[in-house]
Amino acid sequence: MEDIVCSGCALLCDDVAAEVKGEEISSLGLCRLGHQHLISSIKMHDAKSVVRDTGTEKTVSIGVALKKASEILLTAKRPLLYGWSHSTDETITKGIELAKSIGAAFDTTASLGLVQALIHKLHSKQLEIDLDYVRNNGEFILYWGSNPTESSHRHPSKFAVLPRGENIPEGIESRTIGVVDVRNTETMKMANHRLIIPPGADAELLDALSSDILGKSPITGDVAGISAQELLGLVRNVKKSDCTVIFYGSGLINSGNTEANLSGLQTLIESVREAGKQAFALPMATEPNIMGVTKNAVEAGDGDTLRRLVAGEFEAALIVGDDSLVELPGPAAKAFASIPLIYVGPPGGITDAKARVSIHVADSMLLGSGKMHRLDFVEVPYKQWSAHPKQPAAEFDVISRLHELVTKGLK
Amino acid sequence: MKLNPMELYNLLPKTNCRLCEPKTCMAFATKMALGDVLPDDCPPLLEEGFEKNLEKLRELVAPMQSAEETGIKLDDSKCTGCGNCVVVCPVDVAVEPETGHGKAGKSRDTVFIVENGISKIINLEKCRRFPPDRLNCRVCEQYCCTDAIEIW
Ligand code: SF4
Ligand code: SF4
Ligand code: SF4
Ligand code: SF4
Repeated sequence: MEDIVCSGCALLCDDVAAEVKGEEISSLGLCRLGHQHLISSIKMHDAKSVVRDTGTEKTVSIGVALKKASEILLTAKRPLLYGWSHSTDETITKGIELAKSIGAAFDTTASLGLVQALIHKLHSKQLEIDLDYVRNNGEFILYWGSNPTESSHRHPSKFAVLPRGENIPEGIESRTIGVVDVRNTETMKMANHRLIIPPGADAELLDALSSDILGKSPITGDVAGISAQELLGLVRNVKKSDCTVIFYGSGLINSGNTEANLSGLQTLIESVREAGKQAFALPMATEPNIMGVTKNAVEAGDGDTLRRLVAGEFEAALIVGDDSLVELPGPAAKAFASIPLIYVGPPGGITDAKARVSIHVADSMLLGSGKMHRLDFVEVPYKQWSAHPKQPAAEFDVISRLHELVTKGLK
Repeated sequence: MKLNPMELYNLLPKTNCRLCEPKTCMAFATKMALGDVLPDDCPPLLEEGFEKNLEKLRELVAPMQSAEETGIKLDDSKCTGCGNCVVVCPVDVAVEPETGHGKAGKSRDTVFIVENGISKIINLEKCRRFPPDRLNCRVCEQYCCTDAIEIW
């Protein structure tokens, strides 16, 4: 077994190990998702480069595919470079350079939700803290609209709920756990406070909690269908805890009420701080480098690209590591399907099958080079190991070569 | 392996003599079904006249004491490999302290190990429900969010 770093989700677990012996792949410590990701990354038997033209499909060398891709990018008046949340920071930086060279728009899958949350100045308000601090100090843990049991399997065991830490001598016994969601979730099994609220009631509940904590207007009756007794119990426990951490997920970010929800969250954190205790908020997300994308690309990125895509502004697109034709809302997917696409990513999916040029690349977990940003913005470098000897090209190299080709073409 | 407390009860002296810790025969039978007490913990049962009952009871509980037959079941299909069981199990934390701080267990000395994406019980005999500890621990079951762990 060799130490590796998992790229299965944004936790980027670095305490895990793997071994490949012929067809046999084994791992230690990887969750189900991570292990499946490892297997599918290794078994890229059908990895290749493909060029499709007027109904014909040809498997080509990577050089030919890149040439064709550069032609598409150079011909289009304004291309869009999209995706990137599965790419390393280094590849993202290269992508931004590429966009600048050809005057392309650059945008990422993060713009669908998470970035919205972060550019809502949460980041600049210093609401975040790293997960190791949470393990050592987080006394009141509140999952709000996030369900780690479903998508970030090791989040509770590695950082937020179960482990012992400096000021958490008894692990779970030293913490209080709350879950707020619109339905009963598996994560609630671990919780002392289980709050099932109607969709869209988040802001109302956040405001009520803040007002009570600040002593502005005490909770006296039901809020969002939750009894005053339950809510007051929760407030008591928050006030008792030296450090409260709220992990907010898509339930809070993508519920249509983003603006109000996030300012409510910010106010709640500030209220707890005013009451003399530590409080932090951290986003929950699944795509491995959603935070790297956020950090690197927010400034460089163009806003509002999906709307502009639908409006027909872009004449071609490079999609990196995302099955956008499936993942995006109907109109955006349709708009993508109607322009020449270049796909760079793992084999499989509709975007890969429909693209004018497809170039399959190896997963960072196997290559063991480059770095990504964990959920808490901590940089995690990949570890080199002797994965499967036969790997497709590295994404970083593909984007770099593409950049070289278009730069030459521009001269 | 599930023991029926009623069946065990019928083999006890049924005198509620209060010489055992559970104090009543029914409570004793219930604890015995969980593996928390053994037939030999009932003093009257060791006296003359109960030889056959004692032997029968020892036979019934024997599988619970062996490493193969268990009082814990782990359902692969429900397990997400989250590692909650590894991190909360007091045995795991004692033999590989890093697991108590959330790290993946790798020593193979723990009760649980997450291997190939799912948890496996590799040292069942170390579980504190079994002799010599015979504690009524069930924290792994309590914090397994997907109910993959079942204890009886
Ligand atoms: S929690 Fe995420 S990073 Fe950790 S092993 Fe599972 S998939 Fe990989
Ligand atoms: S010691 Fe035996 S007889 Fe006495 S109460 Fe307990 S089980 Fe019953
Ligand atoms: S706690 Fe349950 S789901 Fe998690 S690894 Fe253990 S058995 Fe599997
Ligand atoms: S019952 Fe307790 S000691 Fe036994 S495996 Fe579960 S957590 Fe460990």
